[in-house]
Amino acid sequence: MGKKRERLEVIRDILNSIRTTRNIKPTRLLYSSNLSPQMFKEYINELVSKKFIQLDIDAKEKKTFSLTRRGMDFLQEYKIIENFVENFGL
Amino acid sequence: MIEWFISNREALKLIYGIFVALICFFIVFRTDKLFRLSLHQGIRYFRNAFLFFGIGFILRYIVGTGYLFSKYLFEFFLIMGGFFLFYSLIWKKFESSKKEAKSSLFNLRIIIFYVLAIIITFLDYFWSTYCFMFFSQIILFLIVVLISYFNYLNKKGKFLKYYFLSVLMIFIAWVLNLLASLVFNWEPWVILIVYLLNILIFVLFFIGILRFTN
Repeated sequence: MGKKRERLEVIRDILNSIRTTRNIKPTRLLYSSNLSPQMFKEYINELVSKKFIQLDIDAKEKKTFSLTRRGMDFLQEYKIIENFVENFGL
Repeated sequence: MIEWFISNREALKLIYGIFVALICFFIVFRTDKLFRLSLHQGIRYFRNAFLFFGIGFILRYIVGTGYLFSKYLFEFFLIMGGFFLFYSLIWKKFESSKKEAKSSLFNLRIIIFYVLAIIITFLDYFWSTYCFMFFSQIILFLIVVLISYFNYLNKKGKFLKYYFLSVLMIFIAWVLNLLASLVFNWEPWVILIVYLLNILIFVLFFIGILRFTN
């Protein structure tokens, strides 16, 4: 059994999935995130509230998630943040 | 060297204060950037620790040399810095990483630290001593040393060894402070060792921040 992912790793994985597909449907994102629906909902709510991702609804009411500027910045700096947290025991 | 230290003591204290405060604010600046991006609570409390250390050193060695209250304000900020550093290591046990407090400087958990810091500072002021601060910080940093030692043993991270060494030196510096006050009657050579130790501690943190935030 693999090691349980840390919170920052889960966020990175979700953001990476969105970045790869640009606009991704919620169900597809749920599958790619490897989270339970409950956990997925919690993470998505957090990421939306922190403005890392946004929910776009088109004219046909089709919902997709896309990455914000802040989400992009987070992915770019992720390695530094992860390194820092790891090395300072935070 | 001791004579030179004694004759230039005031100027050296000023340089020492500026040097440590600059390092602290550099750390605050660098970690604040990481916090704003990640909203990671551990980074937030770590940043706060150095904010309080920095303000403390400015109040004591730059703004308020010679003023009675600068000593006690310094004491308050130093104690709070210690509490924040301690809390940055254990915050996960008390807070959810998903719901961050609106303010990391004023929330219910942190208020406990403020109350403790005010009580310790008041007791020292009332009895004209520093011993309450020294004892409280010795106990606090003994716990921090143990936590960071277990982090070093159980987690991966190249700097964890140096983090452990840094907090061990902070612990030693507090013990030396206590000895300087109770045994050595503030002998200049003990003070000099404490100053040098403090510089080494802050430089170690500075190097760590430089290396892991670039």
